[in-house]
Amino acid sequence: MADITRRNFVKLGALSAGMVALGESSLGASVLDQKGVKYDQEYDVVVIGSGFAGLAATITAAEKGLKVCMIEKMGRFGGNSIINGGLFAVVNSPKQKAEGVQDSIELYLKDMLKAGLNMNHTDNLKVIAARSADALKLTEKCGAKYYEKLSHLGGHSIPRTYLTSTASGAGIVQPMLGYAEKLSNVTLKNRTKFDDFIADDSGRIVGVVIRENYKFDMKALDDHAENKTGETKYIKARKGVILASGGFCRDTFLRNMQDPSIPLECDTTNQPGATGEVIMKALELGAVPVQMSWIQWGPWASPDEKGFGTASNFNINATFRYGITVDTKTGKRFMNELADRRVRSLAMFNVIGQDQNYPINICDQAAVDKIIPDLTAKALASGVVKKFNTLDELAAAYKMPAAELKKTVEAYNGYVTAKKDTEFGKPVHGVEGVQINKPPFYGTRGVPKLHYTMGGLKINDKAQIISTKTKKPIPGLFSAGGVNGGIHGASRLGSCSIPDCLVFGMVAGENI
Amino acid sequence: MKQRAQNIFVALCLSLCFTLLPLTLKSGEVTSSSPDLKGRETVTMTQEFKEKYPLKRVHAKLSLECLFCHDGQGNNPEAFKAVREKTCLECHGSKEKIAQRLDFIGKPNPHNSIHDGTRLSCDECHYEHKASINMCAECHEKEIATNMWMRKTP
Amino acid sequence: MKLKLFIFLSIGIGIGLIFSLVTYYGLHKTSDQKFCVICHEMDPMVVAYREDVHGGAGKLGASAKCVDCHLPHDNILKYIYTKARNGVVEGSIHLFGDPSKIDWIEKRAHRESFVFDDGCLECHGNLLSTQTSSKQAQKMHKHYQSLKGTDKEIHCASCHIDAGHQNMRNTLNYYTPEFEIMKEQMKEKKSEIQEKYQHYGIQKEK
Ligand SMILES: Cc1cc2nc3c(=O)[nH]c(=O)nc-3n(C[C@H](O)[C@H](O)[C@H](O)COP(=O)(O)OP(=O)(O)OC[C@H]3O[C@@H](n4cnc5c(N)ncnc54)[C@H](O)[C@@H]3O)c2cc1C
Repeated sequence: MADITRRNFVKLGALSAGMVALGESSLGASVLDQKGVKYDQEYDVVVIGSGFAGLAATITAAEKGLKVCMIEKMGRFGGNSIINGGLFAVVNSPKQKAEGVQDSIELYLKDMLKAGLNMNHTDNLKVIAARSADALKLTEKCGAKYYEKLSHLGGHSIPRTYLTSTASGAGIVQPMLGYAEKLSNVTLKNRTKFDDFIADDSGRIVGVVIRENYKFDMKALDDHAENKTGETKYIKARKGVILASGGFCRDTFLRNMQDPSIPLECDTTNQPGATGEVIMKALELGAVPVQMSWIQWGPWASPDEKGFGTASNFNINATFRYGITVDTKTGKRFMNELADRRVRSLAMFNVIGQDQNYPINICDQAAVDKIIPDLTAKALASGVVKKFNTLDELAAAYKMPAAELKKTVEAYNGYVTAKKDTEFGKPVHGVEGVQINKPPFYGTRGVPKLHYTMGGLKINDKAQIISTKTKKPIPGLFSAGGVNGGIHGASRLGSCSIPDCLVFGMVAGENI
Repeated sequence: MKQRAQNIFVALCLSLCFTLLPLTLKSGEVTSSSPDLKGRETVTMTQEFKEKYPLKRVHAKLSLECLFCHDGQGNNPEAFKAVREKTCLECHGSKEKIAQRLDFIGKPNPHNSIHDGTRLSCDECHYEHKASINMCAECHEKEIATNMWMRKTP
Repeated sequence: MKLKLFIFLSIGIGIGLIFSLVTYYGLHKTSDQKFCVICHEMDPMVVAYREDVHGGAGKLGASAKCVDCHLPHDNILKYIYTKARNGVVEGSIHLFGDPSKIDWIEKRAHRESFVFDDGCLECHGNLLSTQTSSKQAQKMHKHYQSLKGTDKEIHCASCHIDAGHQNMRNTLNYYTPEFEIMKEQMKEKKSEIQEKYQHYGIQKEK
C-alpha cells in the first residue's frame, strides 16, 4: 500500500470509472442461471473464506455429516484471523466463574451498545452473547489453548477476554485448520477465488463460480479487477453457500465509495486480501447493506512503518496506558488517551491536519518496566520508538516546544497524583500511580490506521442473509464474521470480533 | 650396491602398490553408467530464455535444467506454468525438515511461525525467475528491513 | 642371482607390508573425531556429526570417520599430503591463531573444497547405478554424472549440504548466533549440547 503513488491513484480512479461503465451494460446478469451450467465438482456446502468464521462454519457443517468445501483466494489460509491479536471476549465463561466475575447477556449488550452508539442490531448481539461460551468450547475441542488469566479490555465493564497462548488469532486458526484437515468430508482449497453465484429458477443459491490456481497479485492496485489468473470452475453447493470473506479495509474503491474522507493512500492493519468483492456480489444479488460507511481506525499505529507494526503493541500497552499523547506543534495533550478507538482517532486526525503533524506518544521508564520487555526491545530495534535521556532531548528530536511539553507533563503527573484528569477525563485512577518522571523517556509518532469495517451484510439469527427485494432470507445463502454489518454499530469493542465470527460461523453451519 | 638400491626401489614401489590397489579397485566402480532418465522432451535454452527466466544463484550453480521442475509441461518455456510446492519439496524434502534446519531463526522462523506453522506455500515468498519477497514484511516491515528477524529471502 | 633377486624381493615385500601396516595404523589411529578434535576447531561439527546417521545416530550405530569424507581417497599420496597439510595449518591456527574469528557459517559456501566425492562414493557407490532410490534422486544423480569432467562439475556436497552433520547451521548458531535476538536462547542450547556430548571431548564452557 505504501508505495502506491498519487499518479497510480489517478489510474485507479479511471479504472473504477471503467468498472461502473461495465456494470451498467451488464445489469441484470448479477447471478448465473443454473440451466446452462455444467458442474465440475459437487458438495453440500461451499464456504468462502478461511478465517474464524469460515472455519467454524466448515467444521460445524462437516460434523453434521455434510460434504464441505472451504475456499480461500490467498495462498495463506486464515485471512485477518491468522494475524489477529488473539483476544476473545466470552460471556459467562468458565474463567469468569473461576475468577468470581459476574457477567450477563444484558451487561454485554450494554457495553456493546455504548461503544456502538446504540446502532447495533441487538438480535444478532444476543445470539453472540448466548453462544460465545459454545464457540470457546469448539475452539478448545480443536486444540486451542488460552492464557490462565482473563484480560480486562477498554469499553468492557468487567474482565471477559480470553487470550490465546500464542497471543495471536493463529492460536485458534491453526488448531481449527488442523482439525478440519482431518475430517474426511472436508476439502480445503487455497488460491481459489469466488467469482459469482449460481441460482436456480426460484432464486435459490445452488452453487458458485470459482477460479482455481488463482495467484493474488500483491503489487496490483486493484487485484480483483486486474487479476485474470486461474482456471474457472463451476461448483455445486446442494445445501447452500456460506460467505465468510471478512471485511474490506484493503478495498480502496469500496471504502472510498463509503467514506470519501478516508485518504486513498492511508495504511491499514489488514491483510492484502481484505477486499470487498464478495460483499459487492451479495449486494448485486439483493442483500441489504448495513452501516457500510462505519469504518474503524486503530489509533495505536505509527506512520514510520507499515501496518500494525512494532509500535502498536508498544502504544497499547505503554504510552496510551501509562503516558500521554501530545500535539507536536503545541506540546500539549488533546485527548483522553484511553477513550474508545473512534474518539481517539478523530482527535488525532484533527491534530494531524493537512500538514502531517503527527502527534507524539510519550511514556517513561516506569511505564516500560510494566510491560513485556520483548515489546520495547522490538519497537526500539525497529527505530520506530526512540529513547531519550531527558524531556528536553525528546522535545528537540520532534521539534516540540520543550517548555510547553514540560508543563504538560507536570500537569498530567498532578492528575495521576489526584487520581483525576480534569482536562480530558483519562481514567488515571487505573494507571497504578505511574507518572512521567523516570528517565529515560520514550517517544513515538502516532497515526490511526484502518482496522475494521463495521458495515456489511445483514443476517438474521440463523445467519441467513436478508434480501432488499423480499425482506426475507435469500434461500441457500448464509454469512458470518467480518463480512456482516450492523453488529458492532459505530465502533467495535476490542476482542468482540472473534466471538462474532465463531458464533455465526457455527450458527450458519448448524442451519444450512 | 647399485643392484641393491634398485631392488629396494622395486620393493618400495610394490609396497605402495599394495596400498593403492584397493583404492584403485574401488574407484573403478564409480564410473559405471546408470540408465538414461531424461524424458522425451528437451528444451533448447537460448540466450533469450536464459535472460528472461534467470535461475536463482544456487540453482544456476547446479546447472539445473528447465524440465527438472517443469516436468511434463512440454518444451516451450513460454507456455510453462508456475510449479507448486510439491516440486520444490522433491529436492528440499519436507516443510518440517526445512523448518528444522532453520530452527536457529527461532520464533520468527517463517517456515514454522506462530501464525502459519509449516502451512505456508514456498512461493508465498520464494520466487525462482524473479526477486523473492518477504510476506512477513506486510505486517513486520521493520523487523525484516533491519534484518532483526531474518535475512533477505533467498 | 635368481636367489638374490628373490631374497631382495621378499625383503622388499616385507618392508612394504610393514610400511603399509604402519601407514595404515597411523592413519587409522588419527582418523576419528576423537583424534581430530585435539587440534581442529570443530566442537559444533562434532555435535552435528553425532546427531547424524553418519556419526552413529542411525539404527545400526555404524559411523563414518572424519577422514572418510574430508580427505581425498582417489590417490594415497594426495590423501597423505592433504592430511598432513590440514594437520599443520589447523594445528597452528589452534595454537597461535584466533579460531573464534573464523566464520564457519560463511565457510560452508566452499564445502565442495573440503568434502570429497570419492569418500561419499566409497559407501554410496551404487547410488549412481541403483534403481532403488527415488526417481528424483536418480534424475539428479544422472545430472551429476553428466556434468562430471565438465567446467560445470558439481559435487555431492553441492546438494547434500548437511550430509554428515545433521542441521549443521543450527549447531554453528549455538556457538555463534546469526541473530542478536536469539543470543540467549542459543547460549542455552549450547550448554545443553555441551553437557550431552561431553564424553566426545566437547569442551564445557566455564
Ligand atoms: C492486526 C489485527 C488484530 C486484530 N486483533 C483482534 C483481536 O485481538 N480480537 C478480536 O476480536 N478481533 C481482532 N481483530 C479483528 C478480527 O481479526 C477480524 O475481524 C476477524 O479475523 C474476521 O474474521 P473472518 O473470518 O470474518 O474474516 P478473515 O479472517 O479476514 O477471513 C476472510 C477470508 O476470506 C478471503 N476472501 C475474501 N474474498 C474472497 C474471495 N472472493 N474468494 C475467496 N476467498 C476470499 C480472505 O482472503 C480471507 O482470508 C484484529 C484484526 C487485525 C487486522
